[in-house]
Amino acid sequence: MAVDLNAPVLVVDDYQTMIRIIRNLLKQLGFNNVDEAADGAAALDKMRMKKYGLVISDWNMEPMTGYELLREVRADEVLKPTPFIMVTAESKTENVIAAKKAGVNNYIVKPFNVQTLKSKMVSVLGDF
Amino acid sequence: MPSSEVASRVRKTLSALKQADLRDPRLGEVLSLASQMSEAMQAFFGSLDTTLHDELRYISNYIKQTRTEISNLRPNDLSGDQIPSAGAELHAVVKHTADATNVIMAAAEEVMGADPSDAQAYHEMVSLKMMEIFEACTFQDITGQRIRKVVDTLEHIEGRLERFAAVMGVEDAAAVETEADRRKRENILHGPALNGPETAQETIDAMFGDGADQLSQDDLDALFA
Repeated sequence: MAVDLNAPVLVVDDYQTMIRIIRNLLKQLGFNNVDEAADGAAALDKMRMKKYGLVISDWNMEPMTGYELLREVRADEVLKPTPFIMVTAESKTENVIAAKKAGVNNYIVKPFNVQTLKSKMVSVLGDF
Repeated sequence: MPSSEVASRVRKTLSALKQADLRDPRLGEVLSLASQMSEAMQAFFGSLDTTLHDELRYISNYIKQTRTEISNLRPNDLSGDQIPSAGAELHAVVKHTADATNVIMAAAEEVMGADPSDAQAYHEMVSLKMMEIFEACTFQDITGQRIRKVVDTLEHIEGRLERFAAVMGVEDAAAVETEADRRKRENILHGPALNGPETAQETIDAMFGDGADQLSQDDLDALFA
């Protein structure tokens, strides 16, 4: 099935600069329908209001981390199927394993480039 | 009243009682015992006086030495000047970096969104935006100098604390987990690794050889294969 480039993408990061970077990269990849949230709690609120085709989340945020957001999403029967990619500077093995166990679909370490983002999105959403 | 004076007065009283012509043998025994006890107490109180005096003098000297060492730490200078200055420098670094990033990103966005149909105008606009990017990149020199000042302050504090701990024989107390520590542990928060965002993970691992606990993107890819 073809990837819907108009499907809304939620970018979650507490640094506005990083949101701006990801938004621009997504634009380059053809995704223009992008929403943003500054932490896990704000993201969860948005996800309960709107169905997203993909969540791209940082890990280290307050008051709710991306890891907590991931666990909340996977514990919610409605939100559970939402594709979730973690984009973070947390690159220790235990972080990746914990995210994998919590149900993350893919994991990108910062810094990253558009090719890395695209390849992870393709692995999660399919080719586009 | 000093203990030696008390003992002396007790002894005089006992002596006076003995000289009285008392015939009751039990009273004589009691007086004899009291006399012996008085002599023993005098020796005890005498030694106690000396010990207490020595102890108090030791404590007094220790307090004086501690005050001197704390004074050498110059805590008012640290808390009132050096640490706030270091904090202000770091805030300036954050602001400078954010400002520069915004200028660079705005320039890049303008170039990406520009209409290239007029080649001459497009070329002039791109050249202008590239100059803005170069100018914004000068933040790196200034932030480097600011961070050097913060590092100097930290090294200064580290030196003073090391000396204080050595002189006072300070040993670390057992660590107590705070609420923030607990949250970090439960959320597996380590923050960015020391390999920095400017260089690829693989390059830093090769340079320092201590990246065994960090994962490159290739390692992560393997986990999701």
